[in-house]
Amino acid sequence: MKDYRFQTVEELATDDMFRTWVIAPTPEISSFWLNWLASNPQKSADVYAARELVAAVHEIYSDELPEAMLQQEIQEIARLAELRKNGKPSSILQVINKPIWRIAAICVLISGLGLAFYKNQNNRAVSTSAKSDIEANDVLIVRENHTTHDMTVLLSDNSIATLTAGSTIRYPKKFTNKVRKVTLTGEAFFDVAKNPEKPFLVYTDETVTKVLGTSFRVKALEKENTVMVLVKTGRVSVYPKTAYERLETKPDHNVAVIVLSPNQQAVFNRKENRLEKGIVIDRQLLSELSDQKELIFDDKPVSQVFKTLQEIYGISIVYDAAALTQCNITAQFSDENLKQRINAICQAIGASYEMVDGRIVISSSGCTQ
Amino acid sequence: MESGENISIVSDANVRLWQRFKAGESAALGQLAQVHYRWLYNYATKFSSDPDFIRDAIQELYLELWERRDNLSETAFVKSYLLKALRHKLIKESIKLKRFQEPGQAIFDSACEDMPIESQIIADENSHFQTSRIKGIIKLLSKRQQELIYLRFYQNLDNEDIANIMGLGRQSVANLLHRTLKDIRQIWTPAEFMWALLLFSLLF
Repeated sequence: MKDYRFQTVEELATDDMFRTWVIAPTPEISSFWLNWLASNPQKSADVYAARELVAAVHEIYSDELPEAMLQQEIQEIARLAELRKNGKPSSILQVINKPIWRIAAICVLISGLGLAFYKNQNNRAVSTSAKSDIEANDVLIVRENHTTHDMTVLLSDNSIATLTAGSTIRYPKKFTNKVRKVTLTGEAFFDVAKNPEKPFLVYTDETVTKVLGTSFRVKALEKENTVMVLVKTGRVSVYPKTAYERLETKPDHNVAVIVLSPNQQAVFNRKENRLEKGIVIDRQLLSELSDQKELIFDDKPVSQVFKTLQEIYGISIVYDAAALTQCNITAQFSDENLKQRINAICQAIGASYEMVDGRIVISSSGCTQ
Repeated sequence: MESGENISIVSDANVRLWQRFKAGESAALGQLAQVHYRWLYNYATKFSSDPDFIRDAIQELYLELWERRDNLSETAFVKSYLLKALRHKLIKESIKLKRFQEPGQAIFDSACEDMPIESQIIADENSHFQTSRIKGIIKLLSKRQQELIYLRFYQNLDNEDIANIMGLGRQSVANLLHRTLKDIRQIWTPAEFMWALLLFSLLF
């Protein structure tokens, strides 16, 4: 082993092997340094000082970034990079950039506006899945969950709302305003796509919940005396609706707001018109589906994986089956959200995705094996 | 976190990774991001306590490198360059977002005077030394001194890298570091008794 001659505490404290001894020692490294100490007793004060310095700096400055979150971020970076690749029209939006398509899109938009006007006259609730292609962007889509199980609703900004039975959500077909506003009656879990420039707002009758990109549940059941907001990831601001509206007219006004971090909840008391902050007790409420099940795919064709997800979430996934015939996947999903699952799959097969008209559209050039 | 330190993109595997990145393979960007992500995240927590804000900033940093990949040289992915770019971005963004920040979030980013530690001890009666006396002492240093100690002994960077990141001259970094360590030494009576205990616990 190399002969160590140190002049100063600083030199010791910045030596890689010495640092390993302090932070993550192995038996070999410990015994090396103890031997070294024994043969250099005059240096022991420096060694201890350097040890204390390195240990203290690590205690002060360490963070707690979970490995899973790190991996998710890496995947997200790779996914966004794939989406932003130049040259290749990997998304439908890029196709629309061609002039001929632009003209076509404008025609659709105009006829869509007419249709929307007509529909508004009739004051009819519209459902996305069937006739979404020709509606104008500002039209509010209303979806009511008449079923007895959770309903997955895909929003145009790649956010996902999971409605519990009996709940209703209203949202624009496209978020064209400065904010992304949705209105909820009942209960839903939201997995919101990050967009710091366009806050995402969930209105209930009494509260406004504002986020930039995160996941959380809003529970505003008519039969209950409270509205609850429970946060899974990210940071969420909750306002009484009256306070938020005051803020919109007078931006510098001091209003009641509660800022929530993961695993915290806000409870709005309808009778007392009061907001309170607390810790989430029922952790089940922090998962997207009320009966989230573990899924295991062992070297399965990706088309089969998509099929399973379509069934679980009741959504449609559009992909080029021919291009993906070679793609197999091994994956285990437990408490991931739909988005995390789609992310992981796309990462594995080198694909990208978008949410278009309430469907997930996968773009991939296929796998070579 | 100690391994994978100061990766220079010279070895064979790294050359290939670099070529894949240049060729526009998004998975290669993911692998490059993996190398220093933890270090960057940790550094960013010293400027903001909002994990979303931090993740957005790091994401943006890598995506900017991705979009400029045609004109990029390999030094762009050296740790100290990334830290410098991130620091710049965080400070810029936090100024933009100032209104939304809660007090006490910025840790390194305020430019305050380097006061002698003794006077700060007197000024700050609340700061009793906790488990380790040196921890208490470091926390009393000025923001600039703390960042220096952090970059030197946590991120384990040399004076030249630190000078580059903090936008200081190399000599001023050396001087400030020297002065800071001297300051620490003066009031730090290392716990000899603890050392003896430590040595025993290590030997037996």
